Amino acid sequence: MSPTPKRPRRESRRSDPALFAGYKPLSGTFDEYFDPTRAPRSEAHRVIDLLEALGRAEFRSRQQLANATFLQSGITFSVYSDQRGAERIFPFDLIPRLVPGDVWARVRAGLEQRIQALNLFLADVYGPQRILAEGIVPKALVLGAKSYEKKVRGIVPPGGVHVHIAGIDLIRDPEGEFLVLEDNVRTPSGVSYVLENRGVMKKVFPRVFGNARVDPVEEYTTRLREALDAVAPAPDEDASTVVLTPGPFNSAYFEHSFLARRMGVPLVEGGDLFVDGDKVYAKTTLGPQRVDVIYRRIDDGFLDPEAFRPDSALGVPGLMRAYAAGNVALANAVGNGVADDKGIYPFVPEMIRFYLSEEPKLGQVPTYVCARDEDCRYVVDHVGELVIKAVNEAGGYGMLIGPQSKKKQRAEFRAKVLANPRNYIAQPRIELSTCPTWTGRGVAPRRVDLRPYIVSGRKSWVLPGGLTRVALVEGSYVVNSSQGGGSKDTWVLGEEHS
Amino acid sequence: MISRVAESCFWLNRHLERVESLARLLDVNFAFQLDVTLPEAERWLPLVVVVGQEADYRSRVPASQVDRAERVQSYLVWDEKNPVSIVSALGWARENARTIRETISLEMWETLNSAWLWLERKSTRNLYDRDRHAFYVSLRDRCFLFHGVAQATMLHEDPFEFMRLGTALERASQTARILDVKHHSVGPGERGVETPAEAAQWLAALRSCSGVEPFYKRPENTLSGAAVARFLLFDPVFPRSVRHNLLRARNFLGLVRPGDGSPVGERSERLLARTLEHVEALDPQAQVGKTLHETLTRTVGELAAICEAIHDEFFDPAPVAEPQSQRQTGQSQTQT
Repeated sequence: MSPTPKRPRRESRRSDPALFAGYKPLSGTFDEYFDPTRAPRSEAHRVIDLLEALGRAEFRSRQQLANATFLQSGITFSVYSDQRGAERIFPFDLIPRLVPGDVWARVRAGLEQRIQALNLFLADVYGPQRILAEGIVPKALVLGAKSYEKKVRGIVPPGGVHVHIAGIDLIRDPEGEFLVLEDNVRTPSGVSYVLENRGVMKKVFPRVFGNARVDPVEEYTTRLREALDAVAPAPDEDASTVVLTPGPFNSAYFEHSFLARRMGVPLVEGGDLFVDGDKVYAKTTLGPQRVDVIYRRIDDGFLDPEAFRPDSALGVPGLMRAYAAGNVALANAVGNGVADDKGIYPFVPEMIRFYLSEEPKLGQVPTYVCARDEDCRYVVDHVGELVIKAVNEAGGYGMLIGPQSKKKQRAEFRAKVLANPRNYIAQPRIELSTCPTWTGRGVAPRRVDLRPYIVSGRKSWVLPGGLTRVALVEGSYVVNSSQGGGSKDTWVLGEEHS
Repeated sequence: MISRVAESCFWLNRHLERVESLARLLDVNFAFQLDVTLPEAERWLPLVVVVGQEADYRSRVPASQVDRAERVQSYLVWDEKNPVSIVSALGWARENARTIRETISLEMWETLNSAWLWLERKSTRNLYDRDRHAFYVSLRDRCFLFHGVAQATMLHEDPFEFMRLGTALERASQTARILDVKHHSVGPGERGVETPAEAAQWLAALRSCSGVEPFYKRPENTLSGAAVARFLLFDPVFPRSVRHNLLRARNFLGLVRPGDGSPVGERSERLLARTLEHVEALDPQAQVGKTLHETLTRTVGELAAICEAIHDEFFDPAPVAEPQSQRQTGQSQTQT
């Protein structure tokens, strides 16, 4: 007999309840792992078996390992409010979100179609304005939008590409249908977490991962580099591509640095660049170096103090002159905000029909445009049932979730909508799908969305999966990292395994 | 490479060198002051002088407490308001690294980040309280690890040379300061036969530069002020001698200069050559106990001037597309 261990084992595998035991999907909501009868979906069988084989104690210790890895690797975001400029890790949940390959193929086609239409829309509104002339999208809505940038009317960006990088937020309705919730075609962030999450998953779940046959995501930075190189304005051997960041204090700095690192291009701040003779140069230790493609992670308003906000210390004076002269490509193009404006969103299906003569392949959430009298009246009468959003806000701010609101908040929003109807849209609350998520004690359903990334140079490429954001707070619908959201790895499963 | 990035490379290593040098200095002093009988004021305060923070320290600590051992050590290790404390310098090193992660290797970042996370940990504070020697050794080892990882994982091109340039210039300056302060502690007078207390001071100077064994590898060396000064200033291959670091700095500077007759780096190189000349002309035998302090103060000042020249020439260039000289040539041609 072997000697008695000094301490009893903390938890024996046998007394350990199965990871998913007692899991109850929410009624009226699509669950990514289980059908309403609590039977595992076909694509989830294998992953459930693999995770349960680990046992709860082991799962918990791997979750801790994952958190330690993020901190050790400095995969963090900066928190503005914190005095020391502390960096936090973006909470990460180990249970992956699964997307069967055939479902993904349809989503991908829908995304490609949507980006194509949004790009044509931008080329049109900053060019001939056909869609406005034909009254498909109200002229006043576009030209009167804060996000419409008059200064770039007539400028055709290199290669005609406006939307080089897009992040389209998708949700899944109770029937499991993917719907577009929001377009992001200015400077969408989060893709670095997709890649880093995947790296951490491989490290903590090598066996699970190896047996699941998941579409790889590492290609992203290569594809991004190709797309950027494809829009370089003129062949100039000595010109280079850079990533432009607002600096280390920006909350997404980690991502800017990550992308520059993985693409093998310099990461620059506004102060590192200057414009001379309508050409852009970087200050280097060997003298000025031509720059002809800038993946900028600075908002339009801060790009060039000569053209936009004169108080901006982040930008490059004269950059817009160089852009207008066609000497530099900016990714994304300037003025894209008008395409992902919440007020324009309701018209995207019409854009698809207008420019592509196709029916939209991806649905979207029905939307009341308060600028229309009829819609406005409906919204004001049904505040308690709707999600009301200010068109100029993002990150889950400036928004009212009617069914979860207090009477006073509803009255406030009613007054706001009446005072400035053009600033608001409203949508029915969609029961976002849920995904099993570790709560610290067990596994419970939490609501998720999905942000796939689309990269476009000569043609478009969709990253398999994307960033799954999860509302970690029980009952919450808000997945934003600034408001208690976390993320998950997203597994697009090869079709033979779905 | 981007000028700002070059500056961060340079400073990353300067800060790290300060961490390593200070950790060693504190560790050596900890053992040294146990061995010798010294007035309170000569035990710890000189370390504040070495790092050039005497004025700041005195302005923030009550006069009755300035000599206290724990007060000095905590000021030099943990005080975030002291810009050259270990916690500040390591924090700056890490912050510089964080802003150039696309330039350094992943392994370098992880080494430095883990050093920083270690320093912030409560258990590390306990280690400091319980076993100070182990704390300093661990800190020093983390700096060594970084240099080794850099050597083994980073591309050996301009960013690497700027980092090594930073190390060389900072190290030259640290060695000059350590020598200066020990020289001051021993005091003036004719040097021939050292008293045991004086010998202990010179030995501590060598230890503070990891130089005891290398010193004795030179058969002509016996423990005297002049010999120690000569070794720390001149030895061409001792990794912490002033001369060795100036020679290395000259080499790295040559590697990062643009070439093709570009004026960038000319001034830095000229200043560096002059300092090297001054150092090589020193006569420790004649100066120890007399004018060595003035000479070393001048050397430290010259090193600072070199760093300023590097800043002006490499890190903060004028925003014009063509070098000034070419432009002027162009203009004069149209005039004639």
